[in-house]
Amino acid sequence: MKLTTEDKLSILAGSAKYDVSCSSSGSENNYKTGELGCAHNSGICHSFTSDGRCISLLKILLSNVCVYDCAYCINRVSNDIVRTAFGPRELADLTINFYKRNYIEGLFLSSGIIKNEDHTMHLLLQTLRILRHEYRFNGYIHVKLIPGASKELIEEATLLAHRVSSNIELPSSKSLALLAPDKTKEKLLSPLKYARDISLQRSAKPISMSTQMIIGATGESDFEILKLSASLYQKALLKRVYYSAYIAVNNHKHLPVPELSKPPLLREHRLYQADWLLRFYGFSYDEILSENQNLDIQFDPKTFWALSNMHLFPIDVNHAPKEILVRIPGIGIRGALKILQARRFKQLNFEDLLTLKISLKKARYFIVAGKDFYRATSLYTEKIKLALIHQGSNIIQPSLFDMSIYTGEL
Amino acid sequence: MILLYDGSFEGFLSLVYEVYYEKLHVNAIVKKMPETLLFERFHEVFTDEAKARKVLEGIAKHFSKEQQRTICNIFLCDTKAHEMTLLEYIRIGFKNPKELRNITNPSLFYIQNLEKELLSLVHKMYGFTRFEELEDGTLYAKIETKFNIVPFLGDHFCKRLGNIPFIIHDIKRSLAFVKNDDLREIRSIASFDTPTYSEEESHFKALWKSFFKAAAIQSRYNPKLQQSWVPLLYRTYMSEFEV
Ligand code: SF4
Repeated sequence: MKLTTEDKLSILAGSAKYDVSCSSSGSENNYKTGELGCAHNSGICHSFTSDGRCISLLKILLSNVCVYDCAYCINRVSNDIVRTAFGPRELADLTINFYKRNYIEGLFLSSGIIKNEDHTMHLLLQTLRILRHEYRFNGYIHVKLIPGASKELIEEATLLAHRVSSNIELPSSKSLALLAPDKTKEKLLSPLKYARDISLQRSAKPISMSTQMIIGATGESDFEILKLSASLYQKALLKRVYYSAYIAVNNHKHLPVPELSKPPLLREHRLYQADWLLRFYGFSYDEILSENQNLDIQFDPKTFWALSNMHLFPIDVNHAPKEILVRIPGIGIRGALKILQARRFKQLNFEDLLTLKISLKKARYFIVAGKDFYRATSLYTEKIKLALIHQGSNIIQPSLFDMSIYTGEL
Repeated sequence: MILLYDGSFEGFLSLVYEVYYEKLHVNAIVKKMPETLLFERFHEVFTDEAKARKVLEGIAKHFSKEQQRTICNIFLCDTKAHEMTLLEYIRIGFKNPKELRNITNPSLFYIQNLEKELLSLVHKMYGFTRFEELEDGTLYAKIETKFNIVPFLGDHFCKRLGNIPFIIHDIKRSLAFVKNDDLREIRSIASFDTPTYSEEESHFKALWKSFFKAAAIQSRYNPKLQQSWVPLLYRTYMSEFEV
């Protein structure tokens, strides 16, 4: 049976969709007169799928043929599925035509392993070369580094793409050995390290990189996961770690049974919130969690942290510096900025905060503002907990919590 | 006193001139003569280039670049009755420019939020605008938006679309940004014919729809979340939402 372009697109986009990375942000404005495409420094979403995730890039596999047998993956060699592939030019043309119509911000290209690593990386790069050199396309490109591909190819990828990534897949070496016998943590991370080093030789800013971890397929605690993320951020290796609630597609003795398992979306949400605390609010992973602990289900990580550290509260919003303001539950970066701007003109009380559209639902238990503080509940952890539970502000509307991948803001 | 002006930016600047030099006491500013009987004095301001220029020079002297941009931006929020607040903003700025950052003043906070609303609409439409390819290769987009964001979109797509001619057509405002070789301008559109699309157009539209469907994960199905990101209002010209 010959597949139409439409069939191929459905299959190869369908296999790529489990990779959650979607961002196209953080690129310099690279506009060149008369050429097609330009990246934008804050990511642009072009549409949202029926699961509420953003479409920014043409996220697609060059091929779903794969010689590996990773237990959790739909494309593993032992699965009996329809296999197909795009040619590099075919895919480049598709990208240009989607881009022109403003369907997409650019391309996110990955692939199963066809024959071997180098051969696969070659085909990916061939697509990128056509786009960059022949079509003079300057739009956003994110390409997967195939672990095990040779160094020259990785270097070329860093020259052609805005972002490269390699997925860690599972949070520990033990789980990898169990479920992805062809992969090791070192093998997955080494292309990233190499890409960083080589791009640093060219300019002061390394190429933007990200990775993804599957959550809930194996037994690691949130503590282990956050610790790993923190170490990756710290080494300035990665710009972003994505968490992907495990969606069971295969039967395997070490994996949750597909019919019985639901993707752990709430846990994924809590991880994004905690990740946000790491990246933007100056928290360290061991402030958020202690050894082997999991994130609280009832309270978001910032509220949970505050409740465990009541000796640091209440915080005086008229005097606290920005780093402290953002640690108040319910007040995010935007709220903190408004407070900083407004308090230069007057001393703020609760009413002022409300007129500035800063929600006090959570924050009121943790702040003083001029003469105002929340008198009804005294500063005892248990009482505040009860009050928060009672008002329901801790309960996330399940329909909305997938937002966290983009904001995660608390 | 109620002031009447023609709705143009120059008209508004002329109005500011008269308010200052004739010391008018303003209670409301309107673009159209109301049909109900009013027991208040009425004054019509005629657009006058010289007056407008004078005000503009004053603004350039007293306001920072960023604040000047704010004034232009607020003016583009044309479906809100923004004139009184904008007048207030200009008054405050002439008196004490430092005060303009005081968001505990309700008018200034309102302006800050309105500008944010405009810019977030612009950002959304950077993504949600859809072009269709016409027979001659021109890309054509129709939009209907709450505020007038045609100038922003025009700039944005000039940077992206290289040498490809394109048109962004604001249906409700009867405006269009037209880019063709060296020409780039905003025109008012009196009437238009149904365009003829290129042969490939329906093919790529179909491909886009299959991609859109294939990219969704069934076990995470969540149309409510989808709708909070893309409210129905925006979907009119987004082919992936056609049924
Ligand atoms: S290498 Fe990638 S595509 Fe192949 S089975 Fe493993 S995860 Fe799937």
